[in-house]
Amino acid sequence: MAGLDIFLQNIANGVLMGGVYALIGIGLTLVFGVMRTINFAHGDFVVLGMYSAVLFNALLGWDPYLSLVLAMPIGFFAGVIVERFILSRVIDAPPESALLATLGISLIIGNAILLTFGGEPRSVQVSYASSTFSIAGVNVSMVLLLAGIATVIMIAALYALLNRTEVGRAIRGTAENRLGAELVGIDTRRIHSIVFGLGVMLAVMAGVTLIPLLFATPTNTGAVFTLKAFVVTVLGGLGNVGAAIAGGILLGVVEVLGASYFMSEYREAYGLIAFLLILLFRPEGLFGRTVKRV
Amino acid sequence: MIKHLIGLGVLLAIGMTYPAIFPNNLTIAISVLLFAGWATSWDLLGGWNGQVSLGHASFVGLGAYFVAIGQSQFGLAPWWTMAMAAAVAAVLAYFWGWLTFSLRGPYFSLSTIAVAEILRLVAINEEWLTGGATGVFIATLPEPFGVDLFSRTAQFYMALAFAGVVIATVIVVSRARFGYQLRAVREDEDSAMAAGIDPTATKLKAFMLSAALTSIGGGIYGIVLAFIEPHVIFALLLSVQIALTAIIGGRGTIWGPAVGALVLIGAGEIFRTTFAEANMLIYGILILVVVLFVPRGIVGELARRHIRRLYAKRA
Repeated sequence: MAGLDIFLQNIANGVLMGGVYALIGIGLTLVFGVMRTINFAHGDFVVLGMYSAVLFNALLGWDPYLSLVLAMPIGFFAGVIVERFILSRVIDAPPESALLATLGISLIIGNAILLTFGGEPRSVQVSYASSTFSIAGVNVSMVLLLAGIATVIMIAALYALLNRTEVGRAIRGTAENRLGAELVGIDTRRIHSIVFGLGVMLAVMAGVTLIPLLFATPTNTGAVFTLKAFVVTVLGGLGNVGAAIAGGILLGVVEVLGASYFMSEYREAYGLIAFLLILLFRPEGLFGRTVKRV
Repeated sequence: MIKHLIGLGVLLAIGMTYPAIFPNNLTIAISVLLFAGWATSWDLLGGWNGQVSLGHASFVGLGAYFVAIGQSQFGLAPWWTMAMAAAVAAVLAYFWGWLTFSLRGPYFSLSTIAVAEILRLVAINEEWLTGGATGVFIATLPEPFGVDLFSRTAQFYMALAFAGVVIATVIVVSRARFGYQLRAVREDEDSAMAAGIDPTATKLKAFMLSAALTSIGGGIYGIVLAFIEPHVIFALLLSVQIALTAIIGGRGTIWGPAVGALVLIGAGEIFRTTFAEANMLIYGILILVVVLFVPRGIVGELARRHIRRLYAKRA
């Protein structure tokens, strides 16, 4: 029985961690699905979100979740500006140009944070940071659960936006066929700006949600999050928003199970190996029919 | 080709006098030369063949570890271990490429990050092999012909020789049949295949050559550092730095990566006091400038202008 308990606990931890990974992944997959751009700076926007929570906490004494009210709109507009001034210029260049441009943005964000905040890890202390409660003998971390709830809300909201609104229709149209969308009068440049804004907003949101749990450091964490986001989106299928949840949970479970039953020091590697295998044998993702769906 | 080789010879001859003129600025010159060599090796695959790798730090690490462990555990001299590292790097690149060359464009770049990260985790965790996260220390080195390999002057000449060999290789390759195959695959894989070129075999050869050369530079870097930590030498940031050096300097040009190394390491040195550890900021800003305004890179743009001027004169 003890073995089963541990197994259930592992699954629960994996699923909860996976919710966080999914939250990091959806922004990346949305941007890829519509703009065909692999956003290397995604993880750095997550870190930017973490630091925004640190900043609001230091200046105004706000709880991280309260700072979402300001951080999300700021993230959206930051994304729109980056798209307008940088990415829109390389959208028709070879795909590597966009990748290199976002790599440049990533380096600029990471090092700008390093210059402003310094290299030491920052965090926000909240009373519920380490609180847990248990359901049927399985311990659940409060912060992870909140992050999971945020993921579900965000994905529901995104689903509603994409399927129930006029902008959402335009986004889906642009993803399906950019030229066709332009022919029926959709301003695809505006759509690209909105989508990148949404992507950054989601990244910032993930960062804010994570700050009670993780320390923010300027340069390394960004790359780690970008890599996680890639793994999540490739597992689910690049450009498939719904499947990002499944991809995130899969990554979380694979990491936790791999770490507890094989070699714990290779925790990070299991996700990467899964990522390579999927990329090689099922590039459309585990759940994707085609690469083009949003 | 002869013109470029003569140019290289002249530059190397001038370089030989550097330690006599600036005996106190050797460390930065070694960095420039090593990065020039790495970026030029990277360019064989990334520029001439169009496969952007973001995992080349793995080969730097491989070379450095071979030299360090060979010396500290088995008492093997660096030149033997560097030769072994080059061979192993080529074999590693063969399997790595065999696994990932079915992916094109950005997907290939992503897969190289994944492979390099897995190798980094191996270097950190397999203590019996690499000494783990604490790293390896080179305490003694042989003294060939009485030369102290720990002295910066000796290291400078090794780095100079490394950069020279790599650039000479690229000069020869650029005019060889293989060089034209590389470019054909870069421009259009399907057309290259129609012309009787095997794209995967071409990419594999480029990757193996690129990896072997990079690992030799890594061996020299190991001697320069004398203390090797997996976090530093296998870092994603080093891979990114190597790739960006070549791209900013000018992809697919003979001198571009070397010029890139000179500009970027030089700029890093100038702004060192301003930006402290945030010196990668310069790479970020310059790569944006290059992507947006000079997609050919510094040397590529200069070459284009030069050619246009020649045509204008003729007309």
